[in-house]
Amino acid sequence: MNHDKELDASGLACPLPIVKTKKALGAMTPGQVLRVVATDPGSVADMAAFAEQTGNPLLAQSTQDKKFVFFLKKA
Amino acid sequence: MNESTDPTSLVLWGGFALAFVFGAVAHKANYCTMGAISDVVNMGHWGRMRMWLLTLAVAIIGTQLLHAGGQIDLARTIYQRPTLPWLSLLLGGTLFGIGMTLAGGCVNKNLIRLGGGSVRSLVVLAFMAIAAYMTLKGLFGQWRAAWLDPVSIDLAGLGMSDQSLASLLVRAGAVPAGPAVLGTALALGGALLVFVLADRRFRGNTVQVLAALVLGLLVVSAWYLSGHLGHGENPETLETVFFATNSRTLESMSFVAPTAYSLELLMLWTDKSLRVTFGIATVLGVIAGSLAYALASRRFAWDGFASFADLRNQLAGAVLMGFGGVTAMGCTVGQGMSGLSTLSIGSLIAVAGIVAGAAATMKCMLWREG
Repeated sequence: MNHDKELDASGLACPLPIVKTKKALGAMTPGQVLRVVATDPGSVADMAAFAEQTGNPLLAQSTQDKKFVFFLKKA
Repeated sequence: MNESTDPTSLVLWGGFALAFVFGAVAHKANYCTMGAISDVVNMGHWGRMRMWLLTLAVAIIGTQLLHAGGQIDLARTIYQRPTLPWLSLLLGGTLFGIGMTLAGGCVNKNLIRLGGGSVRSLVVLAFMAIAAYMTLKGLFGQWRAAWLDPVSIDLAGLGMSDQSLASLLVRAGAVPAGPAVLGTALALGGALLVFVLADRRFRGNTVQVLAALVLGLLVVSAWYLSGHLGHGENPETLETVFFATNSRTLESMSFVAPTAYSLELLMLWTDKSLRVTFGIATVLGVIAGSLAYALASRRFAWDGFASFADLRNQLAGAVLMGFGGVTAMGCTVGQGMSGLSTLSIGSLIAVAGIVAGAAATMKCMLWREG
């Protein structure tokens, strides 16, 4: 999936992936897509809740080589 | 007395069994107090916070009913002593809150992660246990005893027999002594229930609701186990004692000091004065329960440190949790569930410190990311 910005949160434990994602989205313009890579298993539930709660749609998510990849669209 | 009714064995195996369920359920439901605070601070999402509050409501109602029914005596817990070391509770709680945020989770969360294969959590717990032990009996303990604990309020001098919220309300003339005290406690628990269950989305989350109910009941069961079933006459001394607890009084779930005592037991194994206790059994139970769930759900995965910065943050968090947890007399479970279930004023102070410390650290992280 095409994206405008990438955030590597590999190896970071909660709450850092969400904190970094929030900050990264804050610097983007509406409609842009952020790709986030994380390894914390808790990030799967966290990112879904973050997308729902903040209104930034979670376009897709997948698991690649024990890494969780998320695509979030800036609302 | 035959072996099957030996109260020491009952308390130890019962504690292990309760904690086993605690670890499995908490792993399944992604139960995490730091995560709950993070969800509220970083995204305004109250799902996991409601899970914590529902656990608390069940624990308060159950524990207070046990106390009112004469099954346990909460006035004998460490949370109800008539001296209120408010500075230790507030500072210790705040440092614990900072520490658990840096360490990616509280002691309970790291025990659960360890069961899931996290070597990182094993290192965090080892450093936390060293710092906790130093705060119990070592250098940090000297500082705590000299500078923090003496800053306290003598509640007995104010006419209160203990530091329960009920005693405060009676002393203030807000409620009469007697059955009204139980009524007040049940009203508080009920108010929490109403707040939590008012959210339709939370009510629809079966896993979170059931997990919270089970965890709350486990806290109540642990009080009953150590405070009723484990309370009786020691056949060797003929004294009435609480069997197999480190504090020599009734205990429920709590993980900071028990993890330190686990380390002590391992290091001084040949010292015959040291024995497995209720707290140590619960530490082992949480790890085992989490491991069992991780294996059954095929979620077990080895995990380590990602970088030097990660290692530095987590070890700093571990030391803060060890010092803060002992100084505040408990963690997110010890004070945040067991302590609050007794409606102790000290627990309210400690938990306020934990929440404030965690929230401030998260805000700081967000600011630094800029």
